[in-house]
Amino acid sequence: MHTIPQLVVSTILLGGIYALIAVGLTLIFGVMRVVNFAHGEFLMLSMYLAFWAFALLRLDPYVTLVLALPLIFGGGWLSYRLVMRPVVHASHNVQIFTTVGLSIALQNLALVLWTADSQFVRTSYYAVVVRFGSMALNLAQIVAFAVAVLFTAALFAFMRWSYTGKVMRATAQDRHVAALMGIDTSRVFALTWAVGITCVGVAGVLLAPIYPVYPTVGLQFVLIAYVAVVLGGLGDMAGALIASLVVAAVEVVGSYMIGTAWKEVLYLLLFIAILVVRPAGLFGQRGAEAIGT
Amino acid sequence: MRGSWPAVVFLALAALVPVVVRDAFLLDGLILLLLWGTTAAAWNIAGGYAGQVSLGHSAFFGLGAYAAALLGTRWDLSPWLGLLVGAALATAFGCIIGFLSNRLRGPYFVLATIACSQVLLIVASRWRALTAGSEGVPVPFRPGFWTLGIADKRVWVYLVLVLAVLLYLIELYLERSRRGYQLAAVREDEDAALSLGVPALRLKVAAITASAALTAVCGVLWAQYVGFVDPFYVFSVDLSVRFCLAAILGGIGTPLGPFLGATLIVTLETYLRARFGGIGAGRVGIYLIIYGIALIVMMRFAPQGLVPWIGERLRWRPGPGTAP
Repeated sequence: MHTIPQLVVSTILLGGIYALIAVGLTLIFGVMRVVNFAHGEFLMLSMYLAFWAFALLRLDPYVTLVLALPLIFGGGWLSYRLVMRPVVHASHNVQIFTTVGLSIALQNLALVLWTADSQFVRTSYYAVVVRFGSMALNLAQIVAFAVAVLFTAALFAFMRWSYTGKVMRATAQDRHVAALMGIDTSRVFALTWAVGITCVGVAGVLLAPIYPVYPTVGLQFVLIAYVAVVLGGLGDMAGALIASLVVAAVEVVGSYMIGTAWKEVLYLLLFIAILVVRPAGLFGQRGAEAIGT
Repeated sequence: MRGSWPAVVFLALAALVPVVVRDAFLLDGLILLLLWGTTAAAWNIAGGYAGQVSLGHSAFFGLGAYAAALLGTRWDLSPWLGLLVGAALATAFGCIIGFLSNRLRGPYFVLATIACSQVLLIVASRWRALTAGSEGVPVPFRPGFWTLGIADKRVWVYLVLVLAVLLYLIELYLERSRRGYQLAAVREDEDAALSLGVPALRLKVAAITASAALTAVCGVLWAQYVGFVDPFYVFSVDLSVRFCLAAILGGIGTPLGPFLGATLIVTLETYLRARFGGIGAGRVGIYLIIYGIALIVMMRFAPQGLVPWIGERLRWRPGPGTAP
């Protein structure tokens, strides 16, 4: 059974990246009560950002990551001001259709700008493999995992101990009471949205050296994030983290047992099963799904 | 029939066009316009009238398309049989999703429908023994009405028009009948409706199932008309989005809305395809950028859609539109 350590390590590496995507999604839902159907498109845009910086300016994706952080945060903030702010208190369907509209517009913007072809960020260390005993791991994947974990840890610390983090959690618990306590909830929503987008944006830049980028690449990753977020309980950040590992384990073990062709079916069936059996997620509050909040 | 004259004008115009126009390009545009409008109307039964917003309706469309195409190529059966099989499969699948809707609301239901359509996408593209896998299924052209091998586009216009009229009548029924009012009550406040003795679950499941079966019928016609079924297209989320986009832009929960929305979308798409066909094919995507932005703007200023919005301005009553 020499494959078991390899499977475990692969699961953890993959789960780390998924966690970063899922945490942003669940943060936005937890505080704003909005499921962001354009989440994957922000991932796609930041992958293209890394691709552009690499192809035009010869910038390494990891350099791009540092330079692009304020840009991604600013883009998130701007998309909130332009698109989300008017509908943040509207009904579920209005919010769903607004983010779907954003997703359609962004996806096709990428299609017009970069065509439907897959683009690659071929760094010099593209195929470098690191060996630990019997395990073989891709270098870019290790870096992506390390940065994703650092970033997620920083976000958790921010939410736990910083004053702004506490304000965000208070708004998540009860936006009306938070407003009564003098919290400017409108600014909290803007910040939450921008932070959530930054998480997925960072994940996009980290994924660029590993996966090809095309206009609909977001869907593939965001579906996994939806599974993780629902499994962990929508709005529950720690739940999303654990669930990301579960989904990664299903994917890694599934590909190993039945081949990569059918692995997506496994986590989609897992997803439908959770929705049917326990839609509130493993750690979520029972009944949340029935009132839709 | 107060308030339905715009729809009568629209459908009568569509019926007259083939008498006057012989141009294949225009007729092709009209057929697609009617077909997408009809599919959006089928989505509207679940998404608009029952308030169960689905982003997985391509699942039903794909089931219909595949049922007809596979029965035709593998067993040499008529697409009319495929229509029955496709509608039956979609009915069964729609029932499952209908029961899910009882447990899941809002974003949860949307996510569940996306997941269901993705499962079918993977099955269709990977189960090579049944579906020919990711290469897709070419639908052979066998001349004759029984095999739906019709070269004359004018016949196609009338064929699709029959379905369009049927959908319009169903939505008029939902607008004016006791059942329709009950369904509206369930949509607006399910608990209140239940307390008045409205069978909420049965109505929701019935609406979603009818919507699913009719979407599958549209899928059958589409597959026979276009002549090729690609799993990554017929089961895609993009296609589901396309159905609901037309219905929402035109006016969600109105009988005319989906057709108006489809007219806007197909017209701009066809124009851009003609303008940038071939090399600049990527630029055809511009129409979806425009409609994506239009959707955002509309949700902000007129979330009930174009038909009720125009109706308010003209003081004409197109029936009770529903803000989503």
